[in-house]
Amino acid sequence: MDTLVLNGIVNGLIVGGIYALIGMSLTLLYGVLRVVNFAHGEFVIGGSFLAYALFSNLGLAPLLALPVAALSFFALGWGAYYVLLPRLQKSDDPEIMSFLMMYGVSIALAAVMLLIFEADSRSIDYSFRPISMKVGPIYVSTARVVAFGITIAIALALTWFLFRTLPGKALRAAIMNREAIQIVGVDVVKLSAFAFALASAIAGATGVLVALVFPAFNPFSGAEYSIIGFIVVVLGGLGNPVGALLAGILYGLAEQLATVFLPQAMAPIIGFGILVAIILIRPSGLMGWRAQR
Amino acid sequence: MPPEAGAAPRSAERASADRIYYTLASIIGGVVGIYFLVVPVLDLNLAFHFYLMLWITMASAFNVAAGFSGYMPFGFVAFYGVGAFTTAILVKSLGFPVLLALPFSGAAGVILGLLFAPTLRLSGIYFAIVSLALAGICRLVISNMPQEITGGSFGLQLGSRAEPVHSFYVMMGVMLMALGVILWLSRSRLGKALRAVRDDAEAADMMGVNVTRVRLYGWLIAAFFPAVCGGVEAWYTNVVDTETAFNTLTTAKTVIYAVAGGLGTVTGPIVGSVVMVWLDELIWRQFPLLNLLILGVATVLLVLFLPRGIVGTLLRWRPEWRRYIP
Amino acid sequence: MSAAIEVHGLVKRFGGLTALDGVELEARPAEVLGIIGVNGAGKTTLMNCICGIYRADAGRVVIGGHDVTHRTPHEIAHHGVGRTFQIPRVFRKMSLIDNLLVPVLDRKEADHALIERAESMLEQMRLIELRHNFAEELSGGQQKLLEMARMLMPDPTVVMLDEPFAGVHPTLCRFMIERIEAMAADGKTVLLISHDLTSIYRLSRRVAALNEGRVIAMGGVDEIRGNPAVVEAYLGN
Repeated sequence: MDTLVLNGIVNGLIVGGIYALIGMSLTLLYGVLRVVNFAHGEFVIGGSFLAYALFSNLGLAPLLALPVAALSFFALGWGAYYVLLPRLQKSDDPEIMSFLMMYGVSIALAAVMLLIFEADSRSIDYSFRPISMKVGPIYVSTARVVAFGITIAIALALTWFLFRTLPGKALRAAIMNREAIQIVGVDVVKLSAFAFALASAIAGATGVLVALVFPAFNPFSGAEYSIIGFIVVVLGGLGNPVGALLAGILYGLAEQLATVFLPQAMAPIIGFGILVAIILIRPSGLMGWRAQR
Repeated sequence: MPPEAGAAPRSAERASADRIYYTLASIIGGVVGIYFLVVPVLDLNLAFHFYLMLWITMASAFNVAAGFSGYMPFGFVAFYGVGAFTTAILVKSLGFPVLLALPFSGAAGVILGLLFAPTLRLSGIYFAIVSLALAGICRLVISNMPQEITGGSFGLQLGSRAEPVHSFYVMMGVMLMALGVILWLSRSRLGKALRAVRDDAEAADMMGVNVTRVRLYGWLIAAFFPAVCGGVEAWYTNVVDTETAFNTLTTAKTVIYAVAGGLGTVTGPIVGSVVMVWLDELIWRQFPLLNLLILGVATVLLVLFLPRGIVGTLLRWRPEWRRYIP
Repeated sequence: MSAAIEVHGLVKRFGGLTALDGVELEARPAEVLGIIGVNGAGKTTLMNCICGIYRADAGRVVIGGHDVTHRTPHEIAHHGVGRTFQIPRVFRKMSLIDNLLVPVLDRKEADHALIERAESMLEQMRLIELRHNFAEELSGGQQKLLEMARMLMPDPTVVMLDEPFAGVHPTLCRFMIERIEAMAADGKTVLLISHDLTSIYRLSRRVAALNEGRVIAMGGVDEIRGNPAVVEAYLGN
């Protein structure tokens, strides 16, 4: 097989895994809370910057930064939920209002990162030994392989959590029917806070992985990841974590293979185009079981 | 059919309410008009006031889409960018006088609106996201067009000797026109149809309202003004490039200023823009690096505590005033 | 006297579920046709098909001699059909007057004439004092009256009422019954869905009983009351 195409496939899987995690956490948030988290990309990049700060100031290896990011973002998400979201549920149009609010949060977060880290692109100068590995006929950087491994691990852990544990099942039940779950006695507020915290934690951890997989990031990269998150979520069906997993990988593959055959500048257009096409043609997504209004 | 006992006094009451409404509208329009008229004469900050008028117009047009029709186009900047480039290209490459180019910018906005019309059947969040994606596509398509047409990464220079005062007064004219159209819309039958479709499109359909056509008209009105704004601003700054013309911050500010004032009223976007632009200027003078942060925080606070905006909250508190306040 | 509305062989399926299985009925001017049936019998689906929300899979709907079977809702509205909903669908953020003006926005009459007609209608419904309030500020029963007034504004020939009495205070029910009688007296054809059999039997000249998507009996009130198939459908299963 053509080396370029093979590279495209391998990169597509690696990048797709990241997209899948972003999509899974975003779709979880939407499914349980009906909140479209416009700031999700900023959460991710926040994780990248956290890893960067820990590495530059404390010499902490990115792999160790991962649990730090996950835990701190979990706590932040929990707090943020209680500060921001309960009021929204009472408003006339919670979905649009939450969209607007998270719009504001994304601007604020980008501004904070801009103030702390300034606008330059950053990257983490951490090298694994060996620097790259041979996968079949091609070479892939070890950092990316490691990141991919972790990505798969997190994705599987999340899936296991959602389908095999009680709190996970409660989350899925909440996605399916928010009213019914209250009737059976579940504390929806706590569950929602948990969902927000979990999604934030995954986003933060994904940010660390982003730092390992992508060459650089800056405070404005968040917006791109938010858009990718939307694409993956819509492709996979709103509120469908497994759908997001598959859609993320698929989209990663599509994006990377597209760069093999098309000029670099065209790639984002493909992404936007897919999003528009899916929403107009089949809004419930490739796998969605939640039909549009 | 004999007139009911209450008909005559009700009719008189209606007439007096209308009188108050239009008097208030005239006063506001007059104050706004005269104030901006004398800004250059009194040598006040031209740039500040130019952009204030721009934001008032943008927020008002957004209000037509969001407040009257119920759509949140998060890709609103697409119309602005297309209008900016249309004027720039016509002036630079075809030698049009600016005043002739501006209506073409407006037309370009309307054409783009027609192109995007199929998205109008989407519900809230889907529409918002698609709108965002479509604006991204517009930006990328234009930045990938040949350098001779759209200037590549350097952008286009309009080449005309920039005459700020002329473009200032044209902006004022555009703003007053926008406000006039919106005042008309809010009292017209089309405006009522729009609001009915916003509240319950299916029910409106069953009441005999042609939902698709009504939505389209509202949408095209909303698309026209930001496009013209883009053209006037291109004239004012004399330069156009994809980064500034399609800047997502333009949409962000438009949405926030409109929401801050209150969607669904004519005065809301004016009040919101005035307050927020003034706040922005204040912050910029004291803490220039914090503008973006303040914008973000202000949005969050607005949504949490003043979701109906300044005018909207006032009307919630005193609903009887709805008939008198434009 | 020719029928104001005819439904012939109407079929509507949702995936594997057949909601309407060949409905046949007709109703004449100045008559109230009651429509009864257990939940899921297809009553609301029938109304939705007639007014165009659902597209029928087979059959015909004829209004005043015109075949309106696959027309859009607003076209059907222009043929003189009005309806209310089980759960009121008023325009929440519009005033009562504006709510009433929506169905007549395309009329040639001057604004003040339409407004006066709207006010007169609100007076009949005893809502005149609240005419400038937003519709969302009304109680449930008041919203049902508002819906009725809104429906009557364009002077429809066929009106369809879906459970008007559901969850409404008895005094208001009596008032609604008066209004419905007035509609029929005015020459309109009224299709009335209700579980309130007392009111149905009082108002209707004829009653159609629906079960599992089919009209299992249609006739005068006494006929239907005693019809064994109807009794079984309600009490059996």
